[in-house]
Amino acid sequence: MSTETPKREIDHEEFDPKGTLALILIYFVILSILWVFMYFIEFLGNDLTVIG
Amino acid sequence: MHIHNYEKIWLVLAMLLIVAFISTVAYGATAMGVDMISDDEDTIDPGALDEDPRFADPRVEQVGEDEYEAYVVAQQYVFEPDPIEVPEGSTVTFYVTSRDVIHGFEIVGTNANAMVVPGEVSTFTVEFSEAGEYGVLCNEYCGDGHHVMEGSVTVVPEEEYDGGDE
Repeated sequence: MSTETPKREIDHEEFDPKGTLALILIYFVILSILWVFMYFIEFLGNDLTVIG
Repeated sequence: MHIHNYEKIWLVLAMLLIVAFISTVAYGATAMGVDMISDDEDTIDPGALDEDPRFADPRVEQVGEDEYEAYVVAQQYVFEPDPIEVPEGSTVTFYVTSRDVIHGFEIVGTNANAMVVPGEVSTFTVEFSEAGEYGVLCNEYCGDGHHVMEGSVTVVPEEEYDGGDE
């Protein structure tokens, strides 16, 4: 028993990897938040800071 | 070559992220005045520290209003002077060198952290805005007593400061 699966060819622009885009955007948001915490709070907030 | 629109989006975002990372560091270095440990000082003879005007007598010296210089010698397994005493609200430039092997000079829990290399003078400036006590640790393995090598920085209220001499 075999089922015929309908085939449809689409070109490059027709498929939008929305899930991938969403994952990457979430990842970038996480990176930005972590960077702010690491640099401004953990590093600059960690007095004494070398100023000369 | 054809690039999908979504791919263009995340390529551009990745580049913007890199630019943002670099600009924050640049902002810290310019607007916030964050500096690196300096290696500007000339090299000295680690065997002749006793004849060096700065290190023969490790001490804290006042060089201006609220400005001090601390000359610190690290050796197996002590820091001199100990404690390093400075007044509250002062700007202190540390000159740290070693008499024997490589040591570290880390004011614990802060960004004030330098290597101490024999023959080199590690130089850095920090501001002590509040009275209190900081620990100082050697963070470069320097021998079998490395784990007990510690010192301290005591920040005393301005009116109690007696010049830092023990």
